[in-house]
Amino acid sequence: MKTVLLAPLDPVHDIGLKMIARGLEQAGHKIILLQPDLSAEEIIEQILSSHVDTLLLSRTLGYGVGEVLARFVDMADAAGVRDRIKIGIGGMAIRQELAAELGFDAGFGPGTTTEEVICFVEGRQYKPDPTRSNKSKPDLTAGYNYSYLNPAIAAKLETISSFILDWVKDKWSPGVERAKLREQWDVSRWRNREGNGVLFEHYPGFCSEIPQKFYETGELHPKTRRFTKQEVEGLERYLEETKARMSVLKLQHTRKRPYVFNQYGTGCPFMDIGHILASEAWGADGVVHFDPSWGARTEGFLDGFLTHQEDGTVITPANLNRIHMGLEKSTLWQIRAHRGLNTPETVVLAGKIGADLTKINFCYGSLAAGTDPERMVVDAYHSMLYAKEYRLPFDVVTNEELAGVPAHKAFAGMLIVSDLAIRLGARPILQPLFAYSPEVMIHELMNDNYIDFNAAKIYALRSIINAPIWPGAPIGFLTQTEDRVQSAMTTALHAALAASLGVDAISIASTDEAYSGGPISVPAKIDTLRAVQESFRFLGEAHITPTDMAVTYSQQITEGIEQVLNQVCKTGDIVEALHRGLLGSREEGAYPGRAGKGTIEKR
Amino acid sequence: MDALDVETFFVCKNEEEGRNLMLGLLKGWGFKDVDVVFAQYEGPGARIRGRAYIYRPADQYAWLLPADKGGQK
Repeated sequence: MKTVLLAPLDPVHDIGLKMIARGLEQAGHKIILLQPDLSAEEIIEQILSSHVDTLLLSRTLGYGVGEVLARFVDMADAAGVRDRIKIGIGGMAIRQELAAELGFDAGFGPGTTTEEVICFVEGRQYKPDPTRSNKSKPDLTAGYNYSYLNPAIAAKLETISSFILDWVKDKWSPGVERAKLREQWDVSRWRNREGNGVLFEHYPGFCSEIPQKFYETGELHPKTRRFTKQEVEGLERYLEETKARMSVLKLQHTRKRPYVFNQYGTGCPFMDIGHILASEAWGADGVVHFDPSWGARTEGFLDGFLTHQEDGTVITPANLNRIHMGLEKSTLWQIRAHRGLNTPETVVLAGKIGADLTKINFCYGSLAAGTDPERMVVDAYHSMLYAKEYRLPFDVVTNEELAGVPAHKAFAGMLIVSDLAIRLGARPILQPLFAYSPEVMIHELMNDNYIDFNAAKIYALRSIINAPIWPGAPIGFLTQTEDRVQSAMTTALHAALAASLGVDAISIASTDEAYSGGPISVPAKIDTLRAVQESFRFLGEAHITPTDMAVTYSQQITEGIEQVLNQVCKTGDIVEALHRGLLGSREEGAYPGRAGKGTIEKR
Repeated sequence: MDALDVETFFVCKNEEEGRNLMLGLLKGWGFKDVDVVFAQYEGPGARIRGRAYIYRPADQYAWLLPADKGGQK
C-alpha cells in the first residue's frame, strides 16, 4: 500500500483527480485528497507531515501552466522532497513533453486511464487493457433462417428463381471456364512456392487482350508494376514490427452490432496493408477490397505481386495473399465479385485465399456496372454456387439506386438474387443503401430528415424476409461533403440510425468520401471510425424514433416490390426483364451493360 | 488568424515518438510556439494534431496593421 497525496494546482477541483483518487483507493492505497487553491508551500508542508510516497498534482487551466509547475518543482527541490517521492502531474493542461522538461516523473494528459496512474504509483509498467484486442470474427448470417414473412412476394420469387434456374443450367462463359480452372489450382502448393500446376496451360485462352499479352510476353498492364525484392523485405519488416504492438479497439459500446466495415483499395497492396492496420486499430471489424474499374471489364486476372498507379488494387493471388497475411485474426475480409467479367473466379480466389465474405448482384452488375445482363446472370449463378462451396456469405448490394433506380426496383432485384442464392444453399445478406439517392431528391423523400426513408427500407425488408441486413455502401451516401467535420458527423449519425434499427453490419465512408482528387488517406479513415465510435457511445441501447412517414414509405416500398416482381414473373425471362427496365429503366439511369455481350455459350 | 493546426497520422512506435515527430515537423517549418493538441496512439501509429501559434492574445496582429507597419499588403 502506498500513501498518495493528490493536489489540484487550480482554483477548483479537477474531476479527473477525484476519479484517480477513487481508483487508487479501490486498488488499496491510502489517499489524501487536498482541497483546491492551495499554494505550493501548503502542498509541500502536507508532503512533509504525511510520509507520502507519491504526489499527484493536477492542472486543468492552461494559462501559465509552465511557470506554476516550474515554481513548484523548484520549491520541492528546496524543501528536499523532490528526490524522496515520486511526483506525477496530470490534467487537461498537461503534455508529456512539458512534464518531462520540468523534471516530473510522469505526465498524464487528456485521455489518461486510472489504470495508467495506478501503475505509476505502484512502479509497474502500464500495459493497455488486453480485452481491447479480444475481438472475435462473427458470422453475420448467424441466427437467420431466410423464411418469408410475405407469402405473396415469396411465391413470386419462387416463380422467378425457377425460370432463372431453368434458363441458366446449360449456360457457360469464359468467366465460368476460368473459375473452373482456378478451382483446380492448388493454393497450398502455390503458397509453398511449388508453382501454379497446369493452371496457365489453358487459362490465357479464356482471357481478353491485357491478361493474354501478360501470359504470352510478360507485359503488364501499363498502370501496374511489380514490387522489388527490397520493397517486399521492407514490408515484411514493417509488418513484423507493427504486429508486435498491434491492438484493436471495439466500436460498439454496449451493443454487439452493427459490425463496422470500411473499404481499402489505394491501388498499392503495401499502402492497403497500412490502411487496414490503422482501420483495425481504430475499430473497424471488417474491410472491403476495392479493385480497379478496368478489372471488371477485363476477362481474366494478371498474376504476381503488383502495385497499381490508380484507384483500386489489382486482384491477383499474390496481392490478396499478402493482404490476407496482414489482417488481424478478428477482421472480416470481403472481396467483391459482383459486377464484372471475373465474378465466379473472384469468388473462387476469395475462398481459396481466405476471405470471409464476397459480394454478388447480377441486377446491379448488369444495370449500373456495365456488364451484359445475360453474361452477368450466368456468371452470378456460378458465383453463388462457389460462394456456397467456399462458405462465403455475400451481400447483395443495391447501388443501382445511386444511378437513379428507385429503391423498390433495386430491392426487387436484390430479393430475386437473394432468393436464387437461398435456393442454391448460399447465404445472402441484404444490402439496402442508406443514401440521399436521386429518387429521394426528385421525390423530396428526405426534405425533413434522413431518418424516415432509410428506416422504411429496413422495415420493408424485415416485413418480407428473415435475413441479415448490412446497410451500405457506404451509409449516408451523397450526404457527405468534402468538409471532414460534416462528413464524419453525417456518417456517425447514419451509424447511430443503423444501430438503432438493429441491423447486422454497416459499411462506412472515410471523410474523403466526397473528395475525388486522390486516394483516401489514413487520417480520413480514422476520422469516421472515431465519429462512429462516439455515435455508438451516445446511443447505447437507446433508440431513434422515426416519424409516422417511415411506415408509410415502408408500405409503398413493399407494394412497389410486389408490382415489379409481378411484371418480372410475366416476362418469364430475367434477362428480358433486365433489358426491358423492369428492375431499373434507362429513364431512371439504368443502362444494360455491354461488357461480355455475346460470350455466353450453351452446352 | 491565430494558429496553424496540422493533423495527420504517423507510423511510429509509441505516442511520444508521434508527438516528437509532430513538434519536429512544426519547428522544421520555422514555427517557435508549437504544441501537440491531441494524440492517440494505437498499434500501427499515432493520430496527432499539432498546433503552431502565430499570434497569442495581445500580440500585434499583421492582419490588422497597415503594410508600412509590417502588416499585410
